[in-house]
Amino acid sequence: MDAGHDLPTPDAAAGATHRPTQEELRERKARTRRHLERTGEVMTLSMGPQHPSTHGVYRAVLDLDGEVVLAVRPEIGNLHRGVEKLCEYRTYHQIIPLTDRLDYISGFAMNHGFCEAAEKLMGVEVPDRGRYIRTIAHELCRLANHILWLGTHVMDLGTQTFFCICFRDREYVLDLFEMLTGARLTHSFCRIGGVAKDLPDGFDQRCRKVIDFLPKRVAEYERIIKHNRIYYKRAKNVGIFTAEDCYAWRVTGPTLRSAGVARDLRKDEPYAAYPEVEFEVAVEYNADVYDRFLVRMKEIRESCKIIRQCLDNLPDGPFLAPDAGHSLPVKKNVLRDPAAMIQDFYQVFRGPQAPKGEVYRGIEAPKGEMGFYIRSEGGSKPARVHFATPSFYHGQAVPALVEGEMVADVVAIFASVDLVLGDCDR
Amino acid sequence: MGLVDIVKKGTFVDILRGMSVTGTYFVVDKVTVEYPKEKLHPYPRFRGVQALLTDPETGDTKCVACMLCATICPSRCISIVGEQTPDGRSHPAGFDLDLSRCVFCGFCEEVCPEAAIVMTRQYELATFDKNDLYLDKERLLANQVYAHKELFAHPGERGAPAPAAAGAAPGTQEGRRP
Repeated sequence: MDAGHDLPTPDAAAGATHRPTQEELRERKARTRRHLERTGEVMTLSMGPQHPSTHGVYRAVLDLDGEVVLAVRPEIGNLHRGVEKLCEYRTYHQIIPLTDRLDYISGFAMNHGFCEAAEKLMGVEVPDRGRYIRTIAHELCRLANHILWLGTHVMDLGTQTFFCICFRDREYVLDLFEMLTGARLTHSFCRIGGVAKDLPDGFDQRCRKVIDFLPKRVAEYERIIKHNRIYYKRAKNVGIFTAEDCYAWRVTGPTLRSAGVARDLRKDEPYAAYPEVEFEVAVEYNADVYDRFLVRMKEIRESCKIIRQCLDNLPDGPFLAPDAGHSLPVKKNVLRDPAAMIQDFYQVFRGPQAPKGEVYRGIEAPKGEMGFYIRSEGGSKPARVHFATPSFYHGQAVPALVEGEMVADVVAIFASVDLVLGDCDR
Repeated sequence: MGLVDIVKKGTFVDILRGMSVTGTYFVVDKVTVEYPKEKLHPYPRFRGVQALLTDPETGDTKCVACMLCATICPSRCISIVGEQTPDGRSHPAGFDLDLSRCVFCGFCEEVCPEAAIVMTRQYELATFDKNDLYLDKERLLANQVYAHKELFAHPGERGAPAPAAAGAAPGTQEGRRP
């Protein structure tokens, strides 16, 4: 039998290609730096901002010596919209639509994180049903994000069909989002004290079908990609970023978990309904592009498990806190109940009255740890809002990731840390 | 070349295996639609262009110019001029909505205490003329032909029925076909 048809097993190929140790990596980077100082023959290549595999408007200026990348100077800010400043002129309710334009691939996670932070500031308790619906929507956006990541990442490595396969499957998740929230990307679904609407009729069955179906799709992705010789050679032992590097550059999310650190805010600082569901934190140990792929595939399976548990145990009751001081009323009550109408007018004209103080709340967004910082001087508008977005930190780590690698691997490594420039520049 | 390979090549095993994947897509439902000819129905909650509803009793708009939607709007795209009708009712003399600023967050629909402004399922808003994106009161009232009828009966939550579809396989979008 022709040896070319054998599938490479991870163990066999790990022996074939040597995995550099920490010392060797450090030495390699130091050597390229020395080389850069010594020689003047450096070719400068501008990649982006319109390059398709920068996933947005990121520009990287690469200094090349032949095929080896010596230095990278990233330029960000092409998509700067001043969201943090805009937030200072809006009430807490009005900030919610701004947040889902941060990371527009996983809009609900951004809504959710902001509402968690605002609730921590105001001391609002979210009812059980609200917490479960939030968890379902959050995990759905993790599914959509990881499937889109896989499609674009593998397309950067040269396949076209696989991109279409991934987009077809992401469509089922976006379909659920349209049914649940009314929009496909910019959901604006979370509210301070819960969620905007209850689950619609028929959502349960449809969602169960999708989460039964997606793990089968993941198995198909793995059948196509995991043992694909081309993908394997281009991803294995490329772009190694160890746990020490991740700590130094504040790189979180699947990149950190692929380096063997079981850091997941859903477990470490639980929020929403995560303490009540069982799931495993996906961890891999080789810290390369290939393992980031494996971690994300595991996370899709775990997300499906979480959604199934939430649908099974979905409690009855209100989905929005009956907190007249801080949350908008439920629409159907406004039309019947005078007290709810007064609450409606109060919330719109006065806004939610927050106490003085400052809070930080981190959530595990699909791309990594997403931090929300709010400083309040009292009143309905925050004095300062800061979004510690994962893409920004991942973007600044790009020089450390790609220096010393081959120029053809830049796109693979760049895609593997998962950037979205709306999130990075905000 | 081993005997197994010779048999494999003689019987086209690999080609048949590959073509069986391709051939599957002749028989399963297709996931795409040919857009301008056939269109998908958005779900009842879909947030498309806004409409102002008319009160069937008075024939006038339900809006009472309370300014809630203009105040909550995060992009400040609604401007209302209120006035009193001769019978003492509050009523908007002008109701302008600038779609080029609108972010379709649905807050205007959510806070309206009279269920007068609703988001419809109309999503085909592309235009060559920028003035088409500036909706005045007449055009907003005209948009109510797009509003789903369920909203009149049960405004807001749980009113609109589910888009059937519960029985459709996730591999298809049958339920959303018109």
